[in-house]
Amino acid sequence: MSENTNTLIPGFDLDSLRLPQNFGEALGVKRLITRVPVRKPLKTEFFRVHAGETWRFQTMILELKEEGETFLLAPPVWDVVPELLRPAMLHTAIDRRNNVFLIPVPLPGPDGRRNPWHQSLAEVVAEAENKWVRSVANKHVGGYDMLVAEKDLPEPEWPDMTFQELVQIAFRERLIQSADHPVVTQLLGRS
Amino acid sequence: MTMPHYPGGVWLVDFEFHPAHGREGNPPVPVCLVAREVASGRTLRLWQYELAQLTAAPFPTDETALFVAYYAPAEMSCFIALGWPVPANVLDLFIAFRRHTNGKRTPAGNGLLGALAYYGLDALAADEKDEMRNLVLRGGPWDAVEQRAILDYCESDVLALAKLLPAMQGDIDWPRASLQGRYAVAVAQIEANGVPIDTDTLAALKTGWQGIQHKLIAAVDADYGVYDGITFKLERFERYLAANRIAWPRTPTGRLDTEDNTFKDMARIHPQLSPLRELRGALSQMRLSALAVGDDGRNRCMLSMYRSKTGRNQPSNTKFIFGPSVWLRGLIQPQPGYGLAYVDWSQQEFGIAAALSGDTAMMTAYASGDPYLAFAKQAGAVPHDATKHSHKAARDQFKACVLAVQYGMGAESLAYRINQPVARARELLDLHRRTYRRFWQWSDGVLHQALLGGRLWTTYGWQLFTDDTPNGRSLCNFPMQANGAEMLRLACIQLIGDGVRICAPVHDAVLIEAPLTELDAVVAHTQSVMRKASAAVLDGFMLESDAKVVRAPERYMDERGERMWNMVMDQLGLTTRKVGDG
Repeated sequence: MSENTNTLIPGFDLDSLRLPQNFGEALGVKRLITRVPVRKPLKTEFFRVHAGETWRFQTMILELKEEGETFLLAPPVWDVVPELLRPAMLHTAIDRRNNVFLIPVPLPGPDGRRNPWHQSLAEVVAEAENKWVRSVANKHVGGYDMLVAEKDLPEPEWPDMTFQELVQIAFRERLIQSADHPVVTQLLGRS
Repeated sequence: MTMPHYPGGVWLVDFEFHPAHGREGNPPVPVCLVAREVASGRTLRLWQYELAQLTAAPFPTDETALFVAYYAPAEMSCFIALGWPVPANVLDLFIAFRRHTNGKRTPAGNGLLGALAYYGLDALAADEKDEMRNLVLRGGPWDAVEQRAILDYCESDVLALAKLLPAMQGDIDWPRASLQGRYAVAVAQIEANGVPIDTDTLAALKTGWQGIQHKLIAAVDADYGVYDGITFKLERFERYLAANRIAWPRTPTGRLDTEDNTFKDMARIHPQLSPLRELRGALSQMRLSALAVGDDGRNRCMLSMYRSKTGRNQPSNTKFIFGPSVWLRGLIQPQPGYGLAYVDWSQQEFGIAAALSGDTAMMTAYASGDPYLAFAKQAGAVPHDATKHSHKAARDQFKACVLAVQYGMGAESLAYRINQPVARARELLDLHRRTYRRFWQWSDGVLHQALLGGRLWTTYGWQLFTDDTPNGRSLCNFPMQANGAEMLRLACIQLIGDGVRICAPVHDAVLIEAPLTELDAVVAHTQSVMRKASAAVLDGFMLESDAKVVRAPERYMDERGERMWNMVMDQLGLTTRKVGDG
């Protein structure tokens, strides 16, 4: 495809006159992630999950379904509203537009039993470590149907950030560190 | 960088001239010349009879000297008219000024007076300048007092150059200025060549136009039913669109958008609308009398190089045969024994975007010869053995998507184009982003450069400053448009140097002319030069071209204007001049 362009227009060394067109490279502009949703995958999106221990985190979460919000609780407040908390594994996921989100997958209870929906979600998440998948709730079977992209799609472009940084962004305004937190006081009927 | 040293001198030059026989479209008749050497102040003042006796300029024009002018094609056209060899080194301060201020405000315009005002330099009053210009354009004979006045006026422009050059020195892109000057020389030659016009048909059109308008409206409107007499009725057009299931853009108030640019875009998507658009244009804007055709039947007008922000030429829409009324291009007809070829780069914008961004998938798609189908294959929407015949509908959608990206369209506009739900359009645009990730990264970089760095530039030095109200879509498209213009300029310089007769540059194409016996070889040479020009701009990546050849006595026609042309010829009773299947 290449050709000595200097044969064009005698008297001019066009190669030496050509200016670079690598716009933006020197400016070092990068996409800053300012929001990391914590949610289940949408039934309309294909997603992947980051494999590896360092990209998941077992913790206690508090889900306010009416508000559609998920809170992360620090260990000192785990005993304050134990009936509303649930142990969950937070997984790092990404959609096809490279938007990162965290999927909370509830863990088995103290008796070792697990809700079949949660079990099904865990299986979807495990599969998404290697394939682009989409999950759709199927009430008839009490779990998620898993749709796997048949085509060899390109790997996701994970952001240049650590899991800790992503978690900090995700729970920046939803971290409960003490029993005085307004959400806790409301749940306890103290405010 | 400072000005290089020229041992043969730096010559500031201006001509006064008028078109032969006072007719626009004719070559120039030089009236006088004033030239001044910068270092010595030596000044030459020559009247037209003295110029006619010379076989070359009365100052050095070889590699040792620099020729300086403001809008140099004017001076070069006088060189050509006088049969003088053109200068080796041309510095056009108009180009330098446009380059230095492109995107910035120039309160007094881009002419010589505007440049002087921009740099805070004194100038001749504009009304005084107009008066002297009119005296020149009036044509001779001029008495001795008038001759002196014209020479003094000519010298005043040279003195203006003497003030402007030192003021602009630091703003000139010296390494590339001489290359840009070469283009000014090529433009002069192209303007001198002109486009051959069928003057008999033009005369019949001028005579008969008023008389056929009603019949023409009736003939065109038979397919649409949107006119009431000579009035275009919006409600009827709305009914036509609904009956033909055509989604049409609307204004914010919900009214159908009937701007010509909208009609132009929609006619591209729905070619059956072309005659209606042509008719609307012909009735509202066309001024046949303004078309500049010389005594020899050739359309010549100022190409207005570097006038647009992208650096492209911007000739007058009414004077230039390649103006917006595409059906009028049927007037282009080679002289007996000659042929014409319209040679344009294939999918130029796509190719430029691929090469400059370094997106290998995009480059592969371009090299396939059918980037639209290749995109559909790369996106996994069609099988690898698909052809444009077996998967026409899918190819059309992916083509529309590529064009939408080039025009900076959103999902809604694309949905209009492809007559599909917005969700489908969104999906296509997503596929483009995923398939050509490298391109999109680079495109984002273009925008960041413009917004943070304050300017964009091309491979050969044209530049655009970001103004106070940046348009992201235009900025992102600048590298494709402006480097396309660079490509065309390089090709024109080389082709003119090779003796190829270019009649006109047209956006991403050249119209060339050659004797029938040489036509095929000239077309092949032109395509070879255009390939090299693309490689020069794109660091070795070559773009291919298509050639549409017309041999006398055939006439040129743009397929978008064919129906309208044939209807007009019917109405004029000139049925033998119809084109295509008629």
